[in-house]
Amino acid sequence: MNLWNRLMCYCRRRSPWLFHMNSGSCNGCDIELVASLTPRYDAEQLGVRLEGSPRHADILCITGPVTHNSVEAIKTVYGQVCGPKAVVAIGSCPATTNVFIDSRTLDGPLNRHIPVDVFVPGCPPRPDAIIQGVAKAAEILAERGNQLPVESVMVPIGESACACADATQHAVSEVQP
Amino acid sequence: MNLTTALARLLIFPGLLFAVPAAWFFLWVERKTVALMQGRIGPPFMQPFYDFIKLLGKSTPPRNGVGGLLMMMWPLLAVSAAAGAVGLLPVLPSSGGFEGDLILLLALLELPSMCVIAAGFSSRSIFGEIGSAREAALSVSYNVVFLLAIVSIAASQHTFRLEALASAAADRPSSLYWLGVLAILVCLPAKLHINPFSLPNAEQEIYSGPMTEYAGPELAMWELSHGLEWVAATGLVATLAAPHLAAWWLAAMVFVALSFVVVLLLSVTAAATARLQIDTTVRFYWQCTLIFAVLAISSALFMRFKS
Amino acid sequence: MNILTMLWRNLWGGSRTLLFPARPKVTKGYRGLVRFDPALCTGCAICRFRCTARAIEFKAAKGEFTWSYDPGQCTFCGRCVEGCKTHALSQDSQCPPVYLTIGALKNSYTVARKPAPKPASAAPPAAAAPTSIPAQEARNEPA
Repeated sequence: MNLWNRLMCYCRRRSPWLFHMNSGSCNGCDIELVASLTPRYDAEQLGVRLEGSPRHADILCITGPVTHNSVEAIKTVYGQVCGPKAVVAIGSCPATTNVFIDSRTLDGPLNRHIPVDVFVPGCPPRPDAIIQGVAKAAEILAERGNQLPVESVMVPIGESACACADATQHAVSEVQP
Repeated sequence: MNLTTALARLLIFPGLLFAVPAAWFFLWVERKTVALMQGRIGPPFMQPFYDFIKLLGKSTPPRNGVGGLLMMMWPLLAVSAAAGAVGLLPVLPSSGGFEGDLILLLALLELPSMCVIAAGFSSRSIFGEIGSAREAALSVSYNVVFLLAIVSIAASQHTFRLEALASAAADRPSSLYWLGVLAILVCLPAKLHINPFSLPNAEQEIYSGPMTEYAGPELAMWELSHGLEWVAATGLVATLAAPHLAAWWLAAMVFVALSFVVVLLLSVTAAATARLQIDTTVRFYWQCTLIFAVLAISSALFMRFKS
Repeated sequence: MNILTMLWRNLWGGSRTLLFPARPKVTKGYRGLVRFDPALCTGCAICRFRCTARAIEFKAAKGEFTWSYDPGQCTFCGRCVEGCKTHALSQDSQCPPVYLTIGALKNSYTVARKPAPKPASAAPPAAAAPTSIPAQEARNEPA
């Protein structure tokens, strides 16, 4: 890798910007996520910033078992996150729907809809576990560079959807291992 | 001021080569002091640099038509205006200037916030429009006080030339002069969108406001313009308050030190206050400080016509 | 003046942040990962019945049973621990680690069933360590 790529890799790991999205969770994991920004755990020491817009973020943190009402929103927001991105599923709900298994209002675990990189188990996970998950996602993001996850990316429908990495998606998906 | 001096001022000393690292440094100082005062450790030293490089590596959503071109143009305009404002600051003694360059400095300092407003509207997103409307209301409020304060300082020294104003601090600083500098300091949190007046980029109240649809290198340019605005605004206060020194290196060091002190002051204000609502903000600037600015300018005019 | 004194004290009092890889100590009753002791388990499957999130799976076969637990599915409520009569399950203070693929944390144990206790024979099978109390064996007839 040449110098610019190495610099980019180094900087991506040290500046993970998060966007938090709740897909129907009980808010326990959301509370622990914002607790990780408090002085005791201080996610900002890793350069983490909780951003207000999905277009600014690198890492999408999703809590909650995916309800029917939130599936389209999740796919849209995933499409709106630009550039090299990573997804962290916080809590055991997005990974396995936890206690809501067999519920009629849910639409399955999160990785049926978008590719998930890191799962942070716990109900709710401790804030230090969430920070470890975000740090792991930042490492994955740094190595990922301009490539995309192996599973196919759902490109959401809608005018505000970001078709941002479409060109690189189609170019790189063949060479993915 | 000949071309080489102008280029040196624009590109090297108070210009880009100094201003961009200074911008990152001041952004870091603000985040770090706010963090330390909140009882946590803040980001590491190179954090704004890491953020900038990382943003350069992200892709942008495709935008078509004139709207897309406009959206690309506003951050570049903001960065060049802020860099020009920094370059125009009379840091070094005898660096030349021209009559009326105070007006140019004010125009260049205004341009980044105009670009933010325009960018919010041209992004065609509802959050951008709300953020831009808030930024416009804020701008109307603090700019009256800011401009009146600057004009009163200039009128009290009988000049519109920045270099003369910078060296005036040592000669015969009347209380009117310091009143004007204090008024500028009060307007700075609003100009830099820091905490009592951080209305336009109310994080997650309006989803990042005017910047909502920006991503990648454009966002890097916005962050850079924000940092350069810090350097320009604190530099303005520093040059107005600095004593006149003959040696150029001493003048440069005093400039940096005074800017740093102003940054610390603004960070303490940001950590100690909460975000005010739009009506409180407007009322603050129009009721409290406007009276004070009107007093300053009327006494400046009175002194001018008396002499 | 109150906020300013608070800020001043914070500034000079040092931060109370845990530096990154350090994790805080958990409290005494913290409900973390469920630990299974194959020696004490009798295969009654009460834990599978009581589990709220279906994190525990129990498959019975001839002469042995398989008990598996997925921390990713678990909600750490502790009902399985409360319901286990032989105290084969316990919750320790370790929280589950971060993982990258679904099901990576799941672990299962295959335990051979203990034969019915005969008064004269020595008994216990090779897979599990000998249980201690004869009264306990008498109580837990193989199901």
